[in-house]
Amino acid sequence: MSCAIEVRDLGYRYGEGTQALQGVSFAIAVGECVGLIGPNGAGKSTLLLHLNGLLPETGKGEGAVRVGGTPVRTDTLHEVRRKVGLLFQDPNDQLFCPTVFEDVAFGPRQFGLSETEVRERVQQSLAKTGLSGFETRAPHHLSVGEKRRVCLAGVLACDPAILVLDEPTSSLDPKGRRELKELLRQIRITKLIATHDLELVVELCSRVIVLDGGAVVAEGPTVDLLSDEALMLRHSLERPHILRHLHPH
Amino acid sequence: MHIPDGFLDSKTAVATGLLAATGLGVALRQARLHLPPRRVPLLGLAAAFVFAAQMINFPVAGGTSGHLVGGVLAAVLLGPSAAAIVMSAVLIVQCLMFADGGISALGANIFNMGVVGTVGGWAIYYGVSRTVKGLFGCVLAATFAAWCSTVMAAIACAGELATSRTVGWWVALPAMAGIHMLIGLGEGLVTALVLAAIARARPELLQPDAATGPVRSCGVVVVYGVLIALGLALFASPFASSWPDGLDKTAEVLGFKQKAVGPIVPVPVRDYRIAGIHWSVLGTSIAGAAGTLVVFALAWSLARVLVPGAKADNETSPRQAP
Amino acid sequence: MRHDFLDRYSRLHSPIHRLPAVLKLAAALAVVLTVVLLPPSRVVLLGAVSASLLAIAWLSRIPWRFLVRRVILLEPFVLGAAMLALFQPGGWRLFLFLVAKCTLCLLGMVLLSNTTTFSDLLRLLKAARVPALLVTTLSLMYRYLFVLVDETQRMKRARLSRTFTPQRTWAWHTMATVVSQLFIRTSERAERIYAAMCARGWR
Repeated sequence: MSCAIEVRDLGYRYGEGTQALQGVSFAIAVGECVGLIGPNGAGKSTLLLHLNGLLPETGKGEGAVRVGGTPVRTDTLHEVRRKVGLLFQDPNDQLFCPTVFEDVAFGPRQFGLSETEVRERVQQSLAKTGLSGFETRAPHHLSVGEKRRVCLAGVLACDPAILVLDEPTSSLDPKGRRELKELLRQIRITKLIATHDLELVVELCSRVIVLDGGAVVAEGPTVDLLSDEALMLRHSLERPHILRHLHPH
Repeated sequence: MHIPDGFLDSKTAVATGLLAATGLGVALRQARLHLPPRRVPLLGLAAAFVFAAQMINFPVAGGTSGHLVGGVLAAVLLGPSAAAIVMSAVLIVQCLMFADGGISALGANIFNMGVVGTVGGWAIYYGVSRTVKGLFGCVLAATFAAWCSTVMAAIACAGELATSRTVGWWVALPAMAGIHMLIGLGEGLVTALVLAAIARARPELLQPDAATGPVRSCGVVVVYGVLIALGLALFASPFASSWPDGLDKTAEVLGFKQKAVGPIVPVPVRDYRIAGIHWSVLGTSIAGAAGTLVVFALAWSLARVLVPGAKADNETSPRQAP
Repeated sequence: MRHDFLDRYSRLHSPIHRLPAVLKLAAALAVVLTVVLLPPSRVVLLGAVSASLLAIAWLSRIPWRFLVRRVILLEPFVLGAAMLALFQPGGWRLFLFLVAKCTLCLLGMVLLSNTTTFSDLLRLLKAARVPALLVTTLSLMYRYLFVLVDETQRMKRARLSRTFTPQRTWAWHTMATVVSQLFIRTSERAERIYAAMCARGWR
């Protein structure tokens, strides 16, 4: 299959209130790294939660989502969650075990691997994220950057085919940001990154989807879209500095 | 009210340990059967919440400060079984990590604060809030129940100290119950303020309908009731039956040998004390009852202040179930 | 807010720290049981227990000042409760004995909590067949204690910096609001954690 993620006509309404998403459709090919940008309240996080079946709650869905060819439905959730690794915005929400080892081991254990396999996976994931030796550390002793990397390790330990990240560089200091960026660059699986960090999008993503008011308003190659000042301003974004240097006006 | 190590003798420690284990076991079973999976993390987080809330200082006169215990607050927000688990978790962590409350007294502490205080307090809340409807009823019930739960836990604690012969019961009961009748006022006040604030911001949180199953689990209510009654019988009955000679003992200690007024009801058998109701028991009971009514009245006024336009409010009537 | 107020020294390296957790817990329980069940006449045994505890404290390399401070912090409750014992014939001896017993037990438990990580204790509980729901609750509680205490501090500071009326009049109302906000945020966080658990395959 050439489509890692396929979303067709996705809609979602919060309770009796706002229509958070309407008619969202896009496709992401295997191996692509796509950026999802838009102003606050555009529905980015809501959209991401649909990719591994956390939304919609039973019986409220509109539209269809397929990941790796599998439709996202109540009966396919377990399979979908093996394929999609979701990194949440607040690492504190995702790092819920008393030690780093146990947290990274959580996913593999849930998916039924043997203890030896679990141990191996944990060691590999920690090595990949540059955290070997952190096994016995307690989460509350870690910095935000380290916590984020532990969360990433925890997600990678599940061996997903698709990585979905919600604001991966928020609250990181410049060094932390650089390290994470390098890390993401090295992980060669399909990636969808929702972020305000437009520089990151330029550096990592070949394509970009612009979401505003719950709908896709633009889609295309990163540099082209992000250089379009008018488009950016129209959707409460702006042309990133890195592009001003590349394309001086 | 955390009892340290060394204050309870082995029989009391074992008895309270069994009571606590049973109570907690029942609560865990209830939660396993009725708690929806999405609320499971809430138990752990709520325990952390209670712990954090207990660290907040509420200034009282002259540099001292009071602290929330939170048993009834947890019970109103989460349901009695979940709250019992939460409060027990807090006590366990306080014992193991802080040495706050002895490990040999863990059973007693869990029984007093986690079962008697939390579930007993919830029972009072349930009763009052079913009678007086609406948010007003909820706040009133919670305030009164919080006071009651503090006093009840204190009485149980005093009873355990007395049964262990560590502290004379005629000192333990007045000291513990008396002090906690005052402390309970603070608990009631804070519980009321917090619930009123939550009701203003997120009223739907006051209706934990999904937390526990519907009222058909009467069996659970019975089990909790039996446990609490058993505990009170074991530890509080020394007071009831021994008040008469206790007062004599105090008289002896203090140097007065005079006998106090004889029993109101003539005792058929000299040693059958339970039949003899000494005037002091009657006096204490009347004082206790009066105090309780006063607190109820205070709770009523407080609820009127916190929930304006209260009486007509019938729509937001929180539903509760064991 | 120091993030290690709970178990500051539980990750040191010392002969005591390296012992298996089950041994340390058993030892702590043994100390407590021995001391609690000791009749007032066995002062020598009490002395022996004290000596062993002090030896363990020395081997564990935990700073003296810290241990003393932790024990002293808890003494007021012990003293307060023990004072009630004074109102009995022979009260003084009972009082001193009580205080001695309690202090020893306190020292034992403080040593336990500072030489054993909480996750080790949790593993012990799991092995002892303690119900999974309780273990999960304890685990999450421990993990998020610091997060919530931090949040509380931040909210308190934010509130207090906007309070110009004399502290005490409004303090109760302010603190109650902080507590209510904390609960609301806590339940929202619990929902997010549930989502994160499901995202990694929890059922």
